[in-house]
Amino acid sequence: MTFYEFLERRYDDLITTGLEHMYLVGISVLLSTLIGVLVGVTTYRSERPREIALAVTGSFLTIPSFALFILMIPFFGIGAPPVIVALTMYGLLPIVRNTITGLREVDVATVESAQGMGMGRRQRLLRIELPMAWPVIVAGIRITTLILVGIATIGAIVDGPGYGSFIFDGLARVGSPVAINLVLSGMLGVIVIAILFDSILAVLGKLTTSRGIR
Amino acid sequence: MTATTSTPAPSANTSGSAGGAGPIMIKLEGLGKQYPKEPKPAVDNLTLEIPEGEIVILVGPSGCGKTTTMKMINRIIEPTSGQIILDGEDVTRADPDQLRRKIGYVIQQIGLFPHMTIAENIATVPKLLGWEKKKIDARIDELLETVSMAPETYRNRYPKQLSGGQRQRVGVARALSGDPAVMLMDEPFGAIDPITRDRLQNEFLRLQAEVRKTIVFVTHDIDEAIKMGDRIAILQEGSRIAQYDTPEQILTAPANDFVSDFIGRGASLKRLNLSRVRDMNLTQWPTVSIGDDPARVLDALRASDKGFALVLDEQRRPRRWVSAPDLQRGDNRPLDQIGLPPDATVEPQATLNDALNELITANYSVAIVVDASGAYQGIVDIDSITEAIRTMRTDARARARVGLEADDAAQVG
Repeated sequence: MTFYEFLERRYDDLITTGLEHMYLVGISVLLSTLIGVLVGVTTYRSERPREIALAVTGSFLTIPSFALFILMIPFFGIGAPPVIVALTMYGLLPIVRNTITGLREVDVATVESAQGMGMGRRQRLLRIELPMAWPVIVAGIRITTLILVGIATIGAIVDGPGYGSFIFDGLARVGSPVAINLVLSGMLGVIVIAILFDSILAVLGKLTTSRGIR
Repeated sequence: MTATTSTPAPSANTSGSAGGAGPIMIKLEGLGKQYPKEPKPAVDNLTLEIPEGEIVILVGPSGCGKTTTMKMINRIIEPTSGQIILDGEDVTRADPDQLRRKIGYVIQQIGLFPHMTIAENIATVPKLLGWEKKKIDARIDELLETVSMAPETYRNRYPKQLSGGQRQRVGVARALSGDPAVMLMDEPFGAIDPITRDRLQNEFLRLQAEVRKTIVFVTHDIDEAIKMGDRIAILQEGSRIAQYDTPEQILTAPANDFVSDFIGRGASLKRLNLSRVRDMNLTQWPTVSIGDDPARVLDALRASDKGFALVLDEQRRPRRWVSAPDLQRGDNRPLDQIGLPPDATVEPQATLNDALNELITANYSVAIVVDASGAYQGIVDIDSITEAIRTMRTDARARARVGLEADDAAQVG
């Protein structure tokens, strides 16, 4: 059976699995963004909290993904939940780091003139600092998305949905001709999703960034 | 008798009171800022009265505390001692955000919001004050007109699409948006090239003549201080007042060596920044209309000793300089195609210094004075400037003599 025939035969399965994969990554990126931006906003001002935030989210990324997924089982069982939690943890660093960088790069004079015009702390953050830091934050979200699309495949070891199942199936049948097809199609699916997500985020980022700072 | 200071000036004001001025808008009383871990206070017990409707300049060497002083007025920096009285009300402990919405603020970097359009930038304070949208829109257009920027062209542009001078204008428009009684300006023209700066300074003075705001203006440049200020506070380290007086007084009677050193040399040249073209007797020049025939032009040239006639268009705007040889060479071409273009024009509110700068580089060593619509008013030449310097020096000497006589009288009595 050629790879093309394989794709034809497993077409429906590939699409369903792809949608599951996207759902998994989509939720995790959303959670990472919410938590990451919040952490960035609360820590960027002072050195100590900033360093702690970066150290902690950075250390998440050093945990081997196999280990982390398995460690999640006692708390979240198997299937999608442990995968989402683990992915959210992995996705924090780029977003936290870019939020902090973006907010710290906002010109002090601009913030001072906002303050001098009578904008309070919260107004300055929401109306001046975050919109100005937004392109940098979006860049972080895009990196997170690419990382998570890849790591999500490992989630198959705790029975998580997504293309990981194809790859693990292939692994279990090493030696048989279908093994290569399974791994190849899983990999191809991951690449397609990565490109798709990245293009969507590029467009979204552009639409949500003011023309004045593009 | 012992000479203690180099220039004894009995009338120089070294306190913070604005003698002889109108009602006081801002009063700083014993204001101080002591940063933790610093041996000396940045601002040490400053008392200063700022009269309503005047531009008061805080000027001094860098590190003297002038910017700190200004930023304590809108409490960007919180004072550690003393009081700020704004329009009779103690605002030292008022809500800083409410206070700042009533005070216009322009800083050197301008600090326009890059992600907002010019209209949105200007609308910031009116929105904070909760104005209706209609009123805000009208205000935006009005202010853009005020700073000579066509609303329909600039309303929806972003700051990055403007030149430095235009950004500065928008910065001023934004600071005026909530119609504040008080404006704070921290080196507002500091980051702009010298030629544009001169123009913007003149524009700003013309604007101030209309709006009459109370303005606290920080600069390190004594020439700018003399040009812009109704009153100048020369500050020493710790924001201590070396002299608080009108520019004229400061140039004529520096209170002490610090002030003399700070003014530097050439006080009489600096005085050129105090007089304006509108206060001079303008020299008249032979003028002809753009449609006149050459014979009429030759008549005009013959009737005067100037050698050149100024060609004016229908709106009396200067178009060309022509001389008799130009006419001969011109071979009956229209008057606006021969001779030289008029390259040096100044408006009546320009200072003599501006006029001098212009005429030195001009073709015929004269500066043409035009009104706001560009129509010809007269001429400033080097003779009229020399004459003005002579008059000012005589006046200054006379004033200094008055001080001496008062002193003598006191000693005799």
